[in-house]
Amino acid sequence: MGVVRVERLAKSFGKVVAVDGVSFEIAEREFFSLLGPSGCGKTTTLRCVAGLETADAGTIEIAGRPVYRADAGLDVPPNERDIGMVFQSYAVWPHMTVFDNIAYPLRIRKIPQAGIAGRVAHVLRILGMTGLEERRPSQLSGGQQQRVALGRALALAPSVLLLDEPLSNLDAKLREQMRAELKLIQRETGLPILYVTHDQTEALAMSDRIAVMCEGRIHHLAPPEEIYRRPATAFVLDFIGSVNYLPCRLAGADDSSVTLLWREEAAITLPRPPHLPPGPDVLLAARPESWRFAAGSAGLPGTVVLRSFHGAGFEYRVRLGETEIRVMTPNDVRVSEGEAVRIVVSEGLLLEPDALSRPEARAA
Amino acid sequence: MTAGQRALPARAALGVAPAWQRAVTDHRHILFAVLSVFVFITVVYPLLQVAGRSVIVDGALSLANYAQVFALRRNWIAVWNSVWVSLVATVLATAIGVVSAFLVQRTDIPAKTLFRVLLVAPFAIPPLFSAMGWVQLAGPVGLLSQAWQGITGEFEVPWNIYGASGVVFVLAVTKYPFVFITVASALQRMDPSLEEAARTAGVPTWRIMRDITLPLVRPAVSSGALLAFVASIDNFGIPAVLGMRAQFYVLTTRIYEALTIPNMPLATAMSMLLVALAIVSMIGLRRAEGGADKYAVIAGKAVTPAVLKLGSWRPAVVIGLALAVLLITVLPLFALVLTSITTFWGADLVWANLTLEHYVSALTIPAARRGILNSLFLAAAAGVILVLTTSLISYLTVKARYRAASWLDIAGIVPFALPGSVIGVAMILAWSNPPIGPTLYGTIWILLIAYIMRYMAFGLQTTRATLQQIHVSLEEAALTSGAGRLRVLKDITLPLLRPGMVAAWVLIFISAFNELTVSVLIWTTGAETIGVWIFIMQDSGFSGRASALAVLTLPVILVLYLLMQWLTRLEERRAGRSKG
Repeated sequence: MGVVRVERLAKSFGKVVAVDGVSFEIAEREFFSLLGPSGCGKTTTLRCVAGLETADAGTIEIAGRPVYRADAGLDVPPNERDIGMVFQSYAVWPHMTVFDNIAYPLRIRKIPQAGIAGRVAHVLRILGMTGLEERRPSQLSGGQQQRVALGRALALAPSVLLLDEPLSNLDAKLREQMRAELKLIQRETGLPILYVTHDQTEALAMSDRIAVMCEGRIHHLAPPEEIYRRPATAFVLDFIGSVNYLPCRLAGADDSSVTLLWREEAAITLPRPPHLPPGPDVLLAARPESWRFAAGSAGLPGTVVLRSFHGAGFEYRVRLGETEIRVMTPNDVRVSEGEAVRIVVSEGLLLEPDALSRPEARAA
Repeated sequence: MTAGQRALPARAALGVAPAWQRAVTDHRHILFAVLSVFVFITVVYPLLQVAGRSVIVDGALSLANYAQVFALRRNWIAVWNSVWVSLVATVLATAIGVVSAFLVQRTDIPAKTLFRVLLVAPFAIPPLFSAMGWVQLAGPVGLLSQAWQGITGEFEVPWNIYGASGVVFVLAVTKYPFVFITVASALQRMDPSLEEAARTAGVPTWRIMRDITLPLVRPAVSSGALLAFVASIDNFGIPAVLGMRAQFYVLTTRIYEALTIPNMPLATAMSMLLVALAIVSMIGLRRAEGGADKYAVIAGKAVTPAVLKLGSWRPAVVIGLALAVLLITVLPLFALVLTSITTFWGADLVWANLTLEHYVSALTIPAARRGILNSLFLAAAAGVILVLTTSLISYLTVKARYRAASWLDIAGIVPFALPGSVIGVAMILAWSNPPIGPTLYGTIWILLIAYIMRYMAFGLQTTRATLQQIHVSLEEAALTSGAGRLRVLKDITLPLLRPGMVAAWVLIFISAFNELTVSVLIWTTGAETIGVWIFIMQDSGFSGRASALAVLTLPVILVLYLLMQWLTRLEERRAGRSKG
C-alpha cells in the first residue's frame, strides 16, 4: 500500500492537456522522481498532489486517505493534506526569521511553544544550520535559503515531502553537495519524497524509482538503472543520457545475438536486445561508452574529427559516412584528430527507422 | 485563494451549494460591490457631471458653453498660453533633468546621494512656495535683483519674474524632477553589457555615452518630459502668483477667475478643453512608453554601470552643478525663510528688521489655524482611506483574479491624467445640489472626496506593484504548511504588502497636503486648507505672513519626503536581495 497513490490523473488548461492519465504509487521511505522536459506535466502532477491545482479527473490518496476524487467531488485543500513542500523559488518568507519560517507550520497546528523550540532545533541540526535561527532570509546564501525551505517542509514530519525542482537555482558545486545531503536527510527522517526535476543526472543519482514523463504521460516507470539501460520508448532513450544512432540492416538474429550490416558491408554482432523491430531496416542506438576503438581490421571504418577532454576520459567524434558517432574512452586511449580508425560496439538497442519522430515508439 | 477558486467547479458539479448562496458567501463579490459604489461616487459620478453639463444648456444639448469660451479673446488666449508655456517649460525641464541625471548617475562627481536628494526635492515642495520664493528672489526688490543692482549699478534688471517668462522659468525649475527621476532610473537599470560591447570594440567612453547610452534612454526622456508637460498644464500656483498680476492667464487661472465671478458654464466648458489637452498628452505618453518596451534594454537588477571620468573638467562641473542646485532648490526656500522673519519685503538685512510678527499674526487668524488642521486631517484621512480601498482593489485584480474588478483599476487611474481644475469643477457640479445625499459643497468633505479622486492612482499603482512582487509561491508555501486562506492573508500577504501601503500613504499625504489647484476652486469659509490660505495671503500682498505659514509647513513636508526616500531605498534593497 503506497503512501501516495495517484490514479488516472488528468488536467487540462483550456485546450492544453497538461496531464493525461497519470498513475503511480510511492512506497514508504521511497525517493520517487518525476522526470521530463519542461511542459511534460511533471510540475502540474506535483501541484495536483499538493492541492495547489485541482485536477479534472482521477483520484489521489495520501497516507491511505483520499484527498482528491473527481467522481465524488472531493478536493481537500492543501492546508489539510499533511504534506511538506519545497518550491523551486524556495518561497522563504522574507519578513520572518529562519526560526519563524521553520516554526510556522508548527504554530499553525497550535503545538506548544516548548515543543516548537525543540522541533525547530532538531530540524536545524539535521540541516546543519544551528546558530542561524535569528537570521533573515536576505542575510542567507542561496543554499542556506534552500535549507530553510526544506526545514519548513520537514518541520511537521508530514506524510510525504513534495519537492519542485528544488536544486535548479543552485550553482553546480552546491547542487551536487545538496543532492547528497538531501539523500542523507531522507534516510534520517524516513520520509517518502515526490521529486520533480528536468535534470536527468539528478534523478538518476537520487531516485529509487523514476517516472519519465512526456506530453502529460508516463513513458517509463522503473529504477534508474533500468531506465538507463532498457529505456521503454524512443523518447526515454533519447532524453536520458547521450546516444548515437546508426542506420543499419538486420541481417540475422538468434536467441542470444543479432547481426547487423552497415552499408551492406561491415558486420556488427551484438547481444540480442529485448525488442526487435519488424522490418529489416533498423536504427541502432548505442551509448558513447558502448563504443570503443578496435585494433586491426575489425569494426567500422571512420575518421576522428574532434577530440575533447572530459576529465575522466576523452570523447571522440568519429565520422562514419554521413553520421557521426561519439565514443567515450578512458584516459589512456589516445587517438589524434584526422586519424583513420575502426570502431566497434558492444551493446545497443534496435529501433524502427522512423522511431525518432515518434516519441512513444517502443525501444526495449 | 486561487486554490479555493479553482475548487469551485468540482463542488458546483455536485451541487454542494446553490449558486446564489455561493455568490453571497463569496467575499469577493461583496468586496467588489462595495468598492464599485466607492469608485462610482468618488470618480465616475463627478466626471459624468462635468462632461454632461458642458454640453447641456437649460436642459437641452448645446454647444453654447463652448461657443462662450471662444467668443472671448482672453479665453482662447488662455488656452494658447497653457499650451506654449507648458511646451517651453517642458523643453527647459528636460534639458535640466537629462543633464543632471547623467551627471549624477554616470560621472565621477562626489556626494552623489546629496545631489540626488537635493535634485529631487522640488518634487516635494509645493509649486506655490517655489513661485513665492522666486518672487522674493527675482522680484522688483528681490535678493537677486538687489544683488544685480549692487553689482552693475543699474536699476533695471534684465529679467521679469512676472508674466510669461517668469511662469516658464519657475515651471521648468520645479517640473524637471519628473525627467530627472525617469532618466536616472533608466540609466541605473540599463544593461551594462550594451555599453561593455562598445567598450570592447574600442570606442572611447564619451562616444559610448553619446552613441549608445543616450539613444537607449530616449524613451525614458520622452516619458519624463510628458509627465513634466502634464504637470505644467495642471499647475495653478505658479501662473497664479507670477502670471495674474501681469494679466498673463493660462487655463487653470482663467477657470479660477471664471469661478470667482462665478460663471459655472464657462468653467465647465474650459475644463473639458483641459481634458482634451490631457488626453492628447496621455496618448503621447503611451507612445513614449510603448517605445520603451520596444527597446527592452532595462535589466531587472541593480548593476554598476560605467562611469565617465570628468578629469580636469571635474571641479568646474561640480561647482556648476552645486550652484544650479543652490539656485533651484536652496535659494527659493532661503528667500521664503528670510521674508518670513523680516519686517517687510525687501527690507535691508539688519538686526532691527528681523521679527517674528508674521508668524504671530498669521497664526492669530482663525482661518489660517483651521487651514493647518484641515490640511493635516484631510491629507491623513485621504491617505488612510485610499490605502485601504486601493489595497482591496489591487487584491481583487492581482491576487483574487477577479476579472470584473479591472474596471475599478481603470476608473481609478483616469483622474491621474486629469488637470486639477477639472476635478475642482467636477466636485462643485457633483456636490452642490446632488440628487441624493447631502450637499457637501461648503464642508471639508468635498475636499476629502476631491483628494481621494485625485490621488487614487497613486494608491492603485503602489499597492498593485507591491502585490505583484509577492510571488504566489510565498502564499502557496503557507497553504502547504497548513494555513487556511485567511491565515495566509494575515501572516503572509498583508505583512509583505505593508511597506507598499506605508509608501502609498506617505506619497498621498505629501501630495494632498501640498494640493492647491483643486482646493483653491472648492474651498469655503470653515473649509480652508493651508495651501489656499497661503495663496490668499500672498495674493493679498501679505507675503511675510504667507511665507511664515509656508515655512511652518515645510518641516512636515521635508520629514515625510525623507521618509519616502528612505522607504523607497529600503524597498529597492530588499527587492535586490531577494532576487539572488
